Amino acid sequence: MTNERIATDSPLNPTQRGIFDVLLGMMVPASADGHKPSAAEVDVLGYIAEREADSLPTLREELDALAARAQAQTGRAFLDLTAAEQQRVVADARAAAPDFLRGLALHTVTSYYQDDRVLEALGMEARPPFPQGYEVPPGDLSLLDPVRQRDPFYRDVPDATRT
Amino acid sequence: MADDIVDVLIVGAGASGAAVAWSLVETRMRIVCLEQGGWMNPAEYPSTGRDWEMAPAREFRTSPNLRRRAADYPVNDSDSPIAILNFNAVGGSTILYSAHFPRFHPSDFRVRTLDGVADDWPIDYGTLEPYFAENDNNVGVAGLAGDPALPHHEPPMPPVPLGRMGEAMGRGFNKLGWHWWPSDSAIATREHNGRGRCLNLGPCNTGCAQGAKSSADITYWPMALRTGVELRPHCRVREITVNGRDRATGVTYFDQDGVERHQRAEVVIVACNGVGTPRLLLNSTSARFPHGLANRSGLVGKNLMLHPWGHVSGVFDEPLESHFGPQGCCILSQEFYETDARRGFVRGYNLQVTRGSGPAVTARVGVASGAIPWGAGHHEAFERVYDRTVHVGVCCEDLPEEGNRVTLDDEQTDGHGIPAPKITYRVSDNSRRMLAHGLDKAAEALRAAGAEDVRASAAPVRQAGWHLLGTARMGTNPERSVVNEWGRSHDVRNLFVVDGSVFVTSGGVNPTTTIQAVALYIADSMKKRLANLFD
Repeated sequence: MTNERIATDSPLNPTQRGIFDVLLGMMVPASADGHKPSAAEVDVLGYIAEREADSLPTLREELDALAARAQAQTGRAFLDLTAAEQQRVVADARAAAPDFLRGLALHTVTSYYQDDRVLEALGMEARPPFPQGYEVPPGDLSLLDPVRQRDPFYRDVPDATRT
Repeated sequence: MADDIVDVLIVGAGASGAAVAWSLVETRMRIVCLEQGGWMNPAEYPSTGRDWEMAPAREFRTSPNLRRRAADYPVNDSDSPIAILNFNAVGGSTILYSAHFPRFHPSDFRVRTLDGVADDWPIDYGTLEPYFAENDNNVGVAGLAGDPALPHHEPPMPPVPLGRMGEAMGRGFNKLGWHWWPSDSAIATREHNGRGRCLNLGPCNTGCAQGAKSSADITYWPMALRTGVELRPHCRVREITVNGRDRATGVTYFDQDGVERHQRAEVVIVACNGVGTPRLLLNSTSARFPHGLANRSGLVGKNLMLHPWGHVSGVFDEPLESHFGPQGCCILSQEFYETDARRGFVRGYNLQVTRGSGPAVTARVGVASGAIPWGAGHHEAFERVYDRTVHVGVCCEDLPEEGNRVTLDDEQTDGHGIPAPKITYRVSDNSRRMLAHGLDKAAEALRAAGAEDVRASAAPVRQAGWHLLGTARMGTNPERSVVNEWGRSHDVRNLFVVDGSVFVTSGGVNPTTTIQAVALYIADSMKKRLANLFD
């Protein structure tokens, strides 16, 4: 899944989109070795719009709630805060409601771990399982030798007491 | 045509209905099967797309109450700790099953004699042995001969690959001196009857795009259709009709256009499994059968058995490529399958080693549980579990209890207005003790294999009610059973039941191979008695 979607009718307004991108980077930052991108570089919003559209109203509400909380806590817009301040606002919101942003977090990692760059960083080919499939080593059946040496241990069965 | 009389009418095109249809072909009777679902298209199975890991949360949900395809009917399972799972299509629940295919043991048919509980079956392992073998060849079963836990049998194809995770777990079992063996798997590991070999796609439980998994739509049905059986998809049966001489006359059903029709038949075979079959029988009331068809014993719907299930996961310190290969099939252990009174329960369970999850589900599960955090620690936490996690499932034998039952719901109906089934079910004390023992032993096996961070699921797992058994049990005594020892209703002599409903006890393993062996046995019994089938 490449990042080829270009949203012309974004499901989020510019402020919501700005907060959304901050959150993605907060949830899954780029890996320290630089091999895996930040979730903010992955088209998570396109994925949600295409596959999880039912969750968009909740997402908008949560983004608006974060904006309101930032304003209430700091007197400034969320996007004007430092990264540490943004982290604090999000942490406070999650502490107040443990399920806050839970849906977004799940959609984010679902989308993230289907991204070509991420899969390749994991050593996988960026493709569906079918039709190429995968090779799995048959395994060493000599490991069964101790089991083969056991006598049959299923129980002997006498005549039935019929129902 | 629909109003013509047919010789044999089968209701349900799943594992048992397909096997019976194929077996009866040689009689040259006119056979029609009505199936409420349609044909699945393997080209559209999730493994053909990038979002394959999410299918179990969407269109391939296992609960019909959540999936809500047109072919599904609701099941009120609110009074059960275990939800009812199924799939409604040509092939039935084999479309989604894992194809884990272990046979019942000889002792499973003699629990009253051996352990003083439940009842013995009126047939035994020896009766079914030729049908197990026939079924293995028909559907294509992979496995390895020589398992000391079972009477000798020779699966026709080599076993599914152990992979590195199977080897790791095998070493763990060896360290403990416990039994383990490659699982018999209804998966073609080499080309079989025109089907390609398994490619280790992984998500067997959302349909096999390769056609290697032996779902009934691609095993028995092509053979049956080629030889003249007529299969009518999208036809939902409302009731079985009877005459004043206690004979079934046919069925009333809704065709694919929703038009109500009646199909007359000389013989009716019900193959809707442990919830669908009692639902149909209980919906088939008449003056002579006011409490449901074939229910003079009062046992239709009772003795529901579900195999309480739990699982334990463990994380290894090395990559095991654990999410490649058939998801539900690798190795099993039957060390604790047979009764040992010292354990504090009777009967036993199967330990089923299953493969890990793909990257997206690994991350979702980790984020949902808090094991994989947001932020700087995310990648390290993900890499610690991804491709290194192994699951061991515990499948417990469930003993029959009349209080565990299928009845008709007072309010819910399906899309045709037919009353839905209602489940009343409790996990017995014996099953709870067995499950706790199994979870402990699964954890012990994982630790012996080198796993850390070993965690048990809540038990019983709610979304695990695949195995629907016992609700139209077989027996020789009409007061204590619904069908006789070869599947014919005691009350209606041209009515047969061939699915998991007829099970007297549940064994402690996935039941499909035994369901199909029983279905083939019943079909063979019918063929041997054609001249006096109704006597």
